[in-house]
Amino acid sequence: AFVRSVMISCYTSLVLFFIPWAAMHDTVRDDGKDIADYQSFALLTQTCLLIVVSAQVRSRRHHRLWNGNMAQIQFSGRVPPLIICTARNSLNQPNVWLTMFLTCLLCVIPLVAFRFLLIQLRPTITDKVRRNLQINRKEDFLSPAPRRPPARRISTRRSSYAFSHSKGYGDLVTSRKFLRLKRRPSLFTRKNSALVENQPQLYRTITEEAEETQNVDALRD
Amino acid sequence: MMASSYKDEDGHISVSGSGAPAGAVGDSLRSKKPENTAFKQQRLPAWQPILTAGTVLPAFFIIGLIFIPIGIGLYVTSNNIKEFEIDYTGVDVSSPCFDCSQKLSWNSTRPCTCSITFQLDQPYESNVFMYYGLSNFYQNHRRYVKSRDDSQLNGNEESLRKPSKECEPYGKHSNKPIAPCGAIANSMFNDTLELFYNEPNGTRVQIPLTATGIAWWTDKHVKFRNPGGENGNLTAAFQGTAKPVNWRRPVYELDADPDNNGFINEDFIVWMRTAALPTFRKLYRIIQRRNNLLPTLPRGNYTLEVVYNYPVRSFEGRKRMILSTISWMGGKNPFLGIAYITVGSVCFLLGVVLLIIHHKYGNRTNGADISH
Repeated sequence: AFVRSVMISCYTSLVLFFIPWAAMHDTVRDDGKDIADYQSFALLTQTCLLIVVSAQVRSRRHHRLWNGNMAQIQFSGRVPPLIICTARNSLNQPNVWLTMFLTCLLCVIPLVAFRFLLIQLRPTITDKVRRNLQINRKEDFLSPAPRRPPARRISTRRSSYAFSHSKGYGDLVTSRKFLRLKRRPSLFTRKNSALVENQPQLYRTITEEAEETQNVDALRD
Repeated sequence: MMASSYKDEDGHISVSGSGAPAGAVGDSLRSKKPENTAFKQQRLPAWQPILTAGTVLPAFFIIGLIFIPIGIGLYVTSNNIKEFEIDYTGVDVSSPCFDCSQKLSWNSTRPCTCSITFQLDQPYESNVFMYYGLSNFYQNHRRYVKSRDDSQLNGNEESLRKPSKECEPYGKHSNKPIAPCGAIANSMFNDTLELFYNEPNGTRVQIPLTATGIAWWTDKHVKFRNPGGENGNLTAAFQGTAKPVNWRRPVYELDADPDNNGFINEDFIVWMRTAALPTFRKLYRIIQRRNNLLPTLPRGNYTLEVVYNYPVRSFEGRKRMILSTISWMGGKNPFLGIAYITVGSVCFLLGVVLLIIHHKYGNRTNGADISH
């Protein structure tokens, strides 16, 4: 994970510098005046950086990165008095906006593509649950009668402790959505299981053990 | 006694103390607990995009389809911009400016002139912008960038007499304060470039060059002000100051036009806006269009007369003159067009690849249970 962060940072830094550099190299404004001066270049790079970091923070829900964001805002405040002049002169150039747009997209798209690939090829439990929830929702529209998905009954035997380690499950479990069986078939269809009553599970059903081992094997590869 | 408490992602609060008795740790546990606010307990509303095939794949295709036409538009626009560049440093022995480049020093009193002829293959319409370009000139060197006094340039009387310490060693000369002080002002570009059109019948026509309207409006009217008020006598206002060491004329003699003299001289302002990269161009003059029927610069032979004052050989720099037309996206820069086309096509291809992967592997775990 550290190596991955380092690689992402390297790539983002390179993109964030070289795209504005190449866009400003020997360029002028649309009325002929200079735009490739030090402050405009810095402004362009800083703005791209802020947007990209905000996008990355949002996409990964890392609250601690807010500190990094604050640091960047402070750094960009190092040329405060005349940044208004520079901003006024360069931010009315379509060139500048296009460069910013390109840089941000170029930083965000690889991350999105990579995550999507991971979801497709190596879905985590979270992803599978989401997918099944979505399928359930879709099928609920098609067939309002409650179904009996026998395979999924295995899940009722899983303890919610295992799920609670993934983000969001604490709220999901304690929100008692499982008990609203009239609206849609939920993950846990058995009403009388110990889990639904929020009691610790004390027994195992023998008949379903064969299915369980079969599914465990299927998931292992 | 030091006790620190931290909160990891699961929400368990751990307290580690050193040198504290057990009872005190229990007390400090209670008092060090973070407040139960949304911010401190990390319960802020958050949004995380859920990447499904239904959202990601159309997004990729749409981005690809949008970027490619934008890129093509930018590239075509850039190609339609006409640009002509000529290097007049005089490095080669065969170059007209070779003699000037060899003989030049900062102390020479007689200016050296050289003429270069060139040819324009296409007529240039609308306003044509004349730039001077320098290479290997690091205007972005940190000590150089700091070597200026902005309050002096803003017309502040006190800073005029006492320039800031950042200007050293270009702050004082023979016990008088230098106006404008600093290394940036001292190294101002002082070549004079003139353009002549050689008519087919042999006569030379000088092309009129406009020297105003080349600096940023905010620079000219806000950032740079002359001392002594709006209509004061500039010579009197600058009395008691010395000109920068490498200048031939003092700052109040830069131009006969009082609106372009002193600190608000536009060549000076353009130079003081330091460039970000070591190869840069700065606007020198504007050739206004005459009327809509005739091209501003017709096709043909031209002569560039250079009053060669600026030495660049010592740091192996190069000087060039650039003539360029302008479009809505600025000067000639095909990079953005090419970048947009590339990114658009890569996005589109990526969308196709992800679509294939999604079809082959994505539905494999549909309907599968979540047991493990």
